[in-house]
Amino acid sequence: MLSQVRLFLPELYFLFMALVLFAVSVRHGAPQPRRTYYTAFVLSGIGLLVTLGSLFVEGELFFQAYKVDLFSQIFKVFLSLGMFLVVTICSRLESVEDRHHPEFYLFLTTCTIGMMLLVSAVELITLYVALELSSYSLYILVPMRRGGGGELSSEAGVKYFFMGALASAVMLFGMSYLYGVCHTTHLAEIFKTLPEAVFTPGAIIGLVLTLSGLFFKLAVVPFQSWAPDVYEGASNQLVAYIASASKVAAMAILIRLTALSGAGSAYFINLLIILSLIGMTFGNLVAIKQRDFKRMLAYSSIAHAGYVLLGIMTMSDAGYTSVIYYGLVYLVLNFACFLVIVLVSEKGNNVSIDQFAGLYKRAPLLAVTLLLGVFGLAGLPPTGGFTGKFLIFIAIIQKGYLWLAIVAMINVTISLYYYIGVVKAAYLSPPAPDSVAIPVSTSMRFLNYLVIAMIIWLGVYPELVYDLASIAAKAVL
Amino acid sequence: MAEFLEIVRHLPLLSGILFLTLLGLLLIILIPEERPQAIKVVSAAVSGGILVICLLLYMGYDQGRGGLQFIERSIWVKSLGIYYFNAVDGINLPMLLLTGTVLFTGVLTMWQLEKRVKEYFAFTFLLVFGVFGVFMAFDLFFLFVYYDIALFPMYPLIAIWGSTRKEYGAMKLTLYLLAGSALILPGIVLLFIKSGLWTFDMIALSQAHFTPVVQSIGFLLFLFGFGVLAGLWPFHTWSPVGHVAAPTAVSMIHAGVLMKLGAYGVLRVGAFLCPEGWAQWAELMAVLATIGVVYGAFVGLAQTDLKYVIGYSSVSHMGLVTLGLSTVTVDGVNGAVFQMFAHGIMTALLFSSVGYIYDKTHTKMIPELGGMSRNMPYISGFFILAALAGVGVPCLASFWAELLVFIAAVQTYPIRGILAICGLLVSALFMLRVVAKTFYGPANPKFAGLPDINLWLASPRIILAGCIVLFGLFPWMMLNLIQVSTVPLIGRVVGY
Repeated sequence: MLSQVRLFLPELYFLFMALVLFAVSVRHGAPQPRRTYYTAFVLSGIGLLVTLGSLFVEGELFFQAYKVDLFSQIFKVFLSLGMFLVVTICSRLESVEDRHHPEFYLFLTTCTIGMMLLVSAVELITLYVALELSSYSLYILVPMRRGGGGELSSEAGVKYFFMGALASAVMLFGMSYLYGVCHTTHLAEIFKTLPEAVFTPGAIIGLVLTLSGLFFKLAVVPFQSWAPDVYEGASNQLVAYIASASKVAAMAILIRLTALSGAGSAYFINLLIILSLIGMTFGNLVAIKQRDFKRMLAYSSIAHAGYVLLGIMTMSDAGYTSVIYYGLVYLVLNFACFLVIVLVSEKGNNVSIDQFAGLYKRAPLLAVTLLLGVFGLAGLPPTGGFTGKFLIFIAIIQKGYLWLAIVAMINVTISLYYYIGVVKAAYLSPPAPDSVAIPVSTSMRFLNYLVIAMIIWLGVYPELVYDLASIAAKAVL
Repeated sequence: MAEFLEIVRHLPLLSGILFLTLLGLLLIILIPEERPQAIKVVSAAVSGGILVICLLLYMGYDQGRGGLQFIERSIWVKSLGIYYFNAVDGINLPMLLLTGTVLFTGVLTMWQLEKRVKEYFAFTFLLVFGVFGVFMAFDLFFLFVYYDIALFPMYPLIAIWGSTRKEYGAMKLTLYLLAGSALILPGIVLLFIKSGLWTFDMIALSQAHFTPVVQSIGFLLFLFGFGVLAGLWPFHTWSPVGHVAAPTAVSMIHAGVLMKLGAYGVLRVGAFLCPEGWAQWAELMAVLATIGVVYGAFVGLAQTDLKYVIGYSSVSHMGLVTLGLSTVTVDGVNGAVFQMFAHGIMTALLFSSVGYIYDKTHTKMIPELGGMSRNMPYISGFFILAALAGVGVPCLASFWAELLVFIAAVQTYPIRGILAICGLLVSALFMLRVVAKTFYGPANPKFAGLPDINLWLASPRIILAGCIVLFGLFPWMMLNLIQVSTVPLIGRVVGY
């Protein structure tokens, strides 16, 4: 009994956290945003420690519907890390009404629980329920914004909800096919029968439609159209969460599901390659024109989904390792960008690229974080972004796709154009005459150092995370 | 002396260079912006220290023994086979010496900088950290990391402190160079995978037997990837634009050192790891190089901006380096490596002289200048000396390099070799024309009262001029060293 609790400890802890936040939210009296912030901060900090503590537990729960292994635990660490980081930057959560703050943290927590369940789920129905738990939390969070950009948030919320509901429906439909072909909802059983059946149309349709629900989460073309609007419409802190933690969870479950098809049929692999190439090229080309930084990051995330698909389509443990590694890197890099957005933005408004003008003078530390963040996304060494791409290239060239690596690198060069635009604004443009120095508190300063250190560490010394990731990747196969 | 050198040989001098560069960077970041003089002194001191280490390396390298020396090797990431592996041989030692010299003189050249001093020197040190890294790394992963670190500081350096169309020049340069590195990375991973050794150690990889197809593809990727940075025609167009836009010392580092990174990469990564590919694509290299030499010379003939003139002469001279490499002979490669060194020093001196003239007259247009040798005899002297070196006057360093390249080229590719010689004649013509128009003839009265260079500001130029003459009079000081490593390199190709 106790050992089973230990397996489920991170989820239980976050459930407890959600309950505490729920209690805070129903409390009478004037809202106390500072106190709520500290409560959430401490609770999520402990949450990170709890997940780290259960990194190496292994086992199965709930009639083999729930699998706890290094693969799932590593992603739970990423998720709670993302949750913790996002909560830390909520100290000035001006874009959400004070009385809604407890709910904001509450739904962030339920979303995290949903994703934690998702990365461990090895049964289709469990998987679906977990996915919906996380999605519904986000559907509530997106329109919560008010004030600057608030009018966009309802539009974004509605759009996100309808697109999401559609993707869920498609996914369920696909699962019904998988069930029809394999006569089971357990992934382990599907894994045994699917590789033989993967050449039948039913299996391919089932797999592709099931994956579509996750493609939606990851913003893979053709399910990308929500990303720019949600990024622009939702509050900065929430987008930080969507861009980092939510994407990482999608990567995890995408790996689990593609691993089902075994070596994979050529048809399936070609489909992934085509989606990835379209995603990369589309995302990078459209990003060039964006003036709003969050919108630009949205299109860059579409391109990044393309790189991730390249790693996944190899269906080898080198590929899965690279995607796990890339997941952490991507989380940290996106967080770095959003950290700067949150600190630069006034009253929680959106930040256009021009607003970074003279950042090197107004806040030199933020300028460095931004530089490393965008160069990391561009994939330049010595940042983690480079090492992540490097690992993906190793995986795809190992499979003999040299040309894909070259095309991906050309895309990287295209993306540099707009990333350099951001750096140019931060370092080259003089500050606007009425601009003032941006105050950065000691704690935020520390957070900046931490993020910078992580970006460099993941870039030049990948050993620890790489080894963990490679063990985890072997576990999933 | 011998005992001293014995001690030197056991010091981790290569890590020392990297460490000093980072130390300089850190100190500069820590010094407050309000004290520019302190920043300059620290920069000069650190770069002076680096130059001293480079000289120690040169003296400490045992030419009799040859091969790799000053080896520092330890495992970095075991599961990926990445090593922290630095060493020197006869090919990269001249490059390190060149970088040390150009860095030191470049810092002194920018002594009068006033705009955003702190960031300027910080970016410079970051850049040379990458450059030193590339020249000493024998691990492909590190080599690529250093390579990109060397590239991206160019963008702010040009876009902030540059002149003439600086943002355009900076963006063009950055995108071209990074597009080049986009070819290098798949090439590196290709060799890593195909070797089956799961290591990035270049010495280990050089013993792997790659199939001819892999070598062919690999070399082609490296040729074009690194070739962009070496100013290989037709990917050279970023180079003159970037040179013109960049501030003086950045032009010096850029043309003097950075372009050599490209040629060095072709030689060290391409030719060393894919010898068969090298032999296979040598013809193509020779064609492109010859076009580069001739084209650079003719386009240079039409320029009226001093910096454009130097920029196109660089394309032409770097074409000679590629031509030397394309011969796949000991003489040719010796000449190419020596030319990299000699051209680096020479171009640095040219840009440094033009920089001073531009600072004083605020123009670098040839028609507006004229008769400068009467107004500013000393600085004119430096420019003329460097220009003569570029033309290939005997007893100056470039002469020997160009001679070797031409001998090898005419032997291997008679027609292309002779064409290249003609190209060089044209380039001699245009250099002399520039010298005549700028420094002789009627003086522009507008610039009559301008002060000539003083001894302190002249000191970096004196060092560079000294190098040109020294290695012109005693070319064996460099050639013997280079030869130590080129002979085994060519042996690899012949061995196949």
